Amino acid sequence: MQTRELFWQLSPLAVQIFYGLGVAAMIAFTVGLAIHIRKYRHGAAHHRPFDWRAGLRRMAADMLTHRTLARRDRFAGAAHRLIFYGFSTLFLGTAIVTVDYDIVRPLSGRTFWTGWFYLAFSLAMDIAGLALIVGLLMMMVRRAAFGLTKLSYIRDYCGDTTERPAARSWRIEDWVFLSSLLLIALSGFLQEAVRLIIESPPLGDLSPVGIALAKALTALGIDIQSATRIRELNWWLHGVLALTFVWSVAWSKGKHIVAALGSLTVRDPQNVNRLPPALIEQPVGVSVVDEFSWRDLLHLDACTKCGRCHDACPARASGYPLSPRDFILDLRRHAEDRSDQARAASLLDIIPASTLWACRSCGACAEICPVGIEHPVKIVKMRRALVEQGEMDPVLRGVLETIADSGNSFGESARKRGSWTKDLAFPVKDARKEPVEALWFVGDFASFDPRSQSVSRTVAALLKAAGLDFGLLYDGERNAGNDIRRVGEEGLYESLSEQNIQQINQSNFDWVFTTDPHSFNTLKNEYPDMGRSMTVRHYSSVLADMLEDGRLTVKKPLARRVTLHDPCHLGRFNGEYDAPRRVLRAIGCEIVEMPRCRDNSFCCGAGGGRIWTPDPPGTEKPAHSRMHEAAALGGIDTFVTCCPKDLTMFEDARKTSGHEDSFAVTDLAELVAEAVDLKALDPAEIPKLLDRITDAVAQRVADRIIPDLVARLNSALPAPTALPAGPAMLDAPAEIALEAPTNPILARGDSDWQITPLRPAHISPYDKPDKDTFRILVAVKHVAKLSDDFRFSDDGRDVSAEDVEFQLNEWDETALEEAVQLIEKMGSGEVIVVTIGPDDAETSIRKALAKGAHRAVRLWQDKGTAPSDPFTVASLLAGVAIAEEADLIFTGVQSSDFANGAAAAATAAILGWAHAAVAVSVTRDSSTHLTIERELEGGLRHASRMPFPAVLSIQAGANTPRYATMRMIKEARSKPLTVASDITFTSRETAATITTMVAPAVGQAAMIEGTPADIASTVATLIREKKGL
Amino acid sequence: MSGILLVAEHLRGTLNPISQELAGVAAQLKEAIGGPVCVAIIADEPELLADGMALDGIDEICLVRAPLSQFDGPAYAHAVQVLAEELQPRVILIGHTVNGMGYGPAVAARLGSGFASDVIEASASPAGIEAIRAGYANKVMTHLSFAGSSVVTLMIRGGGYKAPAPAQAVDRRAITVDFSPVAYLMSEHIGFTDPPQADVDINKANFILSVGRGIQDEKNIERFRKLADQLGATLGCSRPVADAGWLPKPHQVGLSGKTAANCSVYLALGISGAVQHLHGMKHIETIIAVNTDRSAPIYNVATHGVCMDLFEFADALEKQFS
Repeated sequence: MQTRELFWQLSPLAVQIFYGLGVAAMIAFTVGLAIHIRKYRHGAAHHRPFDWRAGLRRMAADMLTHRTLARRDRFAGAAHRLIFYGFSTLFLGTAIVTVDYDIVRPLSGRTFWTGWFYLAFSLAMDIAGLALIVGLLMMMVRRAAFGLTKLSYIRDYCGDTTERPAARSWRIEDWVFLSSLLLIALSGFLQEAVRLIIESPPLGDLSPVGIALAKALTALGIDIQSATRIRELNWWLHGVLALTFVWSVAWSKGKHIVAALGSLTVRDPQNVNRLPPALIEQPVGVSVVDEFSWRDLLHLDACTKCGRCHDACPARASGYPLSPRDFILDLRRHAEDRSDQARAASLLDIIPASTLWACRSCGACAEICPVGIEHPVKIVKMRRALVEQGEMDPVLRGVLETIADSGNSFGESARKRGSWTKDLAFPVKDARKEPVEALWFVGDFASFDPRSQSVSRTVAALLKAAGLDFGLLYDGERNAGNDIRRVGEEGLYESLSEQNIQQINQSNFDWVFTTDPHSFNTLKNEYPDMGRSMTVRHYSSVLADMLEDGRLTVKKPLARRVTLHDPCHLGRFNGEYDAPRRVLRAIGCEIVEMPRCRDNSFCCGAGGGRIWTPDPPGTEKPAHSRMHEAAALGGIDTFVTCCPKDLTMFEDARKTSGHEDSFAVTDLAELVAEAVDLKALDPAEIPKLLDRITDAVAQRVADRIIPDLVARLNSALPAPTALPAGPAMLDAPAEIALEAPTNPILARGDSDWQITPLRPAHISPYDKPDKDTFRILVAVKHVAKLSDDFRFSDDGRDVSAEDVEFQLNEWDETALEEAVQLIEKMGSGEVIVVTIGPDDAETSIRKALAKGAHRAVRLWQDKGTAPSDPFTVASLLAGVAIAEEADLIFTGVQSSDFANGAAAAATAAILGWAHAAVAVSVTRDSSTHLTIERELEGGLRHASRMPFPAVLSIQAGANTPRYATMRMIKEARSKPLTVASDITFTSRETAATITTMVAPAVGQAAMIEGTPADIASTVATLIREKKGL
Repeated sequence: MSGILLVAEHLRGTLNPISQELAGVAAQLKEAIGGPVCVAIIADEPELLADGMALDGIDEICLVRAPLSQFDGPAYAHAVQVLAEELQPRVILIGHTVNGMGYGPAVAARLGSGFASDVIEASASPAGIEAIRAGYANKVMTHLSFAGSSVVTLMIRGGGYKAPAPAQAVDRRAITVDFSPVAYLMSEHIGFTDPPQADVDINKANFILSVGRGIQDEKNIERFRKLADQLGATLGCSRPVADAGWLPKPHQVGLSGKTAANCSVYLALGISGAVQHLHGMKHIETIIAVNTDRSAPIYNVATHGVCMDLFEFADALEKQFS
């Protein structure tokens, strides 16, 4: 029976040495594996249970089909298939020989590695070896000659022109890995060839490659003698190389062989569309390496540096300092250092914050990763830590605060959320009040952005025309939280989603839909984790069904050539690529696909909170790149979007990227409206429409004219006689009776000129700790924010209470931060926030407590404590200062609503304290004095040394108030807040009386007409007249 | 009791123009309530500033020598209180400025007078003194009266009144004020730091020429920068312009940029008026919008509109300022 001898002519010692090396290599491999596993075990727990069986099945399928590897790079897919199947077959072959030689033979004295089995084995190994070599050579050629961006480690997106030392080691590793495998394979063939020369076995052992090589060697003059020599040397070379490879697997690129299989097994197909929750018992976010989960750490080892993510990343492509590949590799290098120092080191030293903020959470990297690495999830986890520390772009931070205050990113009143429906010809139901078939979750952009509002109205009209019974949550809806979650503000996400779910639970509906893919994603995938599951649809699929089943009829098919942008959150996140295309086909459009479409769609750049973050100089907006791509298609009429953020981003980008004349950017629904000829109004709707229009006009006329009329009437009436200064003034200005008091001018020479200095209000003792430390009072105001389309109250002396919302005054946040920093520098002391206002003001107080104040006092009684009168405020603050034995009082320079700018100096005057206004820095330089700087007009600063106790007003911009995360806000709920409501004013407490409140004379622009010269002359005069000094 | 007391403001030896504007307010009020109109100059050498306040309508200049090398809030408040007790005016006028905020409210509190700050318009009629000031972030105008006050302290917003013409001779009187009662409240002057030069500051700019994507091309930035320089305007822009990198971020007006907080004239060229841009500028008193699209939302907030080609407009305007 044909076979071959394994340890040919080797001395027993040599065999023992070889076995020794073999065992050592296997031990090294096992130890390496164990070390990695121990590293993973240091990681945090994974947040979700696994279906291991399904995971293994999917991993096996991915591995055997190479499905993930061949995508968007068929050459690499083919090469890796050759390498994988070649290598696996050879590995299996080696295993078979080991089983035969070291197990079956010693135990049974028999062998199965003979005869036809041996010949078939030999043929299989020959082919596998050839496949391996071809695959490796393909990879080498690709690496050396194809000039692929994804294989380059030069970080031109970070402005680097040379390779970093780490990158050089990666490049060397890539080449050593390929070369060593190639050398192992080649030396194997050489060994076979020389054996065939020496032994000339029958059928040449069915080794075609071996025989060919043997013939070539013979032709080169290798005789049996030299062949024997080569055989001796090469045997050791091949063996040692192969064992070294085994030895090094755990510490080289080879580790992906194991780690990638692990990573594929634990792959979460939902990764970035359903983020892990932030658990109470764990630190917020990830700031040191072991706070990553074991899965995250496994991902790091699975990376093969294939660069597909690097290629796909819109941030990288637009010049932002992020490459998902380098992000993973940098983290891996750091994770491999198991020293205590490295494990305690801040990850920000490894991954700069600018890299983390560059991410759009578009999921392109994770989607294309052949081994299932979830880059964006790690980025979000690290962002959570940044948010917790308040480390973020000031604009983004401002937007988050706006969302926390108002529930939407536009800072609009919740009541205005449904305003876009006012111009519709039909009323839209409130789903909380009456049952509907479908609940429309509108989202911020579609509710507030004027361009998107018009799309919302089109969608509403289409749905109405198709007979769908739908309703909204109106003022109950909040930002869905999708992007806030991806920014890393988990606390705010929780609070928003809880509010939405509570409103959704109050409503009666069969299914939910939205035009916003971001809201769509979080409602569909993340709200179930918050306790509410429901059927969620995107309007593209709703419209597609309506067009296909005839509820919407196409009256004039659009013969347009269009291209479609797949929204990340719809396509890549949720696999919905077809619905918008079905719609476009149904309305007769010809779809021309962009090169980057469907799963490879290129993010508009707005995701992950980037729409709220300014772009650094030197970067191109991803949306611009997309416009160039669409324009390059040639002959496109329309660039179709089906996401409100896309519409905004691309409409801007079309104009700034020079393609304004190339094509239009249009929402899917607008095309449908055109095709179904929606503009032809249903005659039945016309009377209702007319009613609504008349009502709206009447309302507007009334709003504008009535206050003016009242004012004129008031001034025309004879002035009432003077009221004595007395009890009448105890009323707050807004509450004074209709008839306004006046003060007629006294005749010259009257001798009753008198002054009555203000005195502190008396505040009855309230619950507070004894004073044993430095105390700073910070006056904070719950300021009114008036909506744009407000009305006046009936008496014409204030605005309608319904049109006002409240929030913490911006200037006061700066004053609070200044106080907290001063106390922090002193090492001890107490910051007490004082506010004047009703129960509602507590939201602002809690926010102030979250931002570092220790304690709060709220002053309120039903009469006489109006917070908009400067004297009321000053008397009350003086009263609290006395009660609290305060050392300093800080106020904001002014409140954003009434901007009196008076509290500081007036309070100090009442107390007889020192004072200064518009301070931008305050330091305590002794037990009696402060050094302060005031900012005068034009930015001039005036430094002085002032005594205290003192009252200072602090200018906005003097510092950056700390960001109050939702977690800090929750913690602030347990800080003490005292309400003092027994207040007696001991002197005059109003500075003035409001007689009327009117709208300022603004409105439609007065158009300037004439020749260009006339117009310019008028404008020039205007400028000269109105320009301040 | 009669007349008007106005307090001159000065910095580093120069009168602040608000002082002359206050004289303009006083001149108007005087018609209804009568004089005299007295100007108080509180300084270490008040006589050096007196000439600048010799204006039509001013009846007397009171020179108050103060032991101050620079402005001090408590000292000013004290001095004005003493003067008020001496002169018994009906109205005290103070500029609504940084220094004004440093003592004006204290004067009112010390006197228990009627009080309004940031007053846009002050008037007097038989019904009494009336002041108009903004409210709710400039969205409304509030008319105030001051019941039962024998004196009203008004802090006037700058830029709204014209200075009266200089007068030939105005009486001057030195008034001695004893500052020792407030010595313990006074600060010790350390020094001034001038602001860094050159950097664009939208927040502080008084006149802004802002460009939007209507300017079409990065190459045209220079054209408008030149125009802005010629007009003495600060160059601003809308978000797409900053996003495209045509102008650095500090130029951007709007929600994600800067608020034009101190602007009185805003010239918007080729800006359509996205909400996020309006956030930073819609409060401005005079907004002149130039656009080719008559339906652009910018015209809803603009006080004046021009519908014409930007470049043609720029050329024509340039001629007006050359």
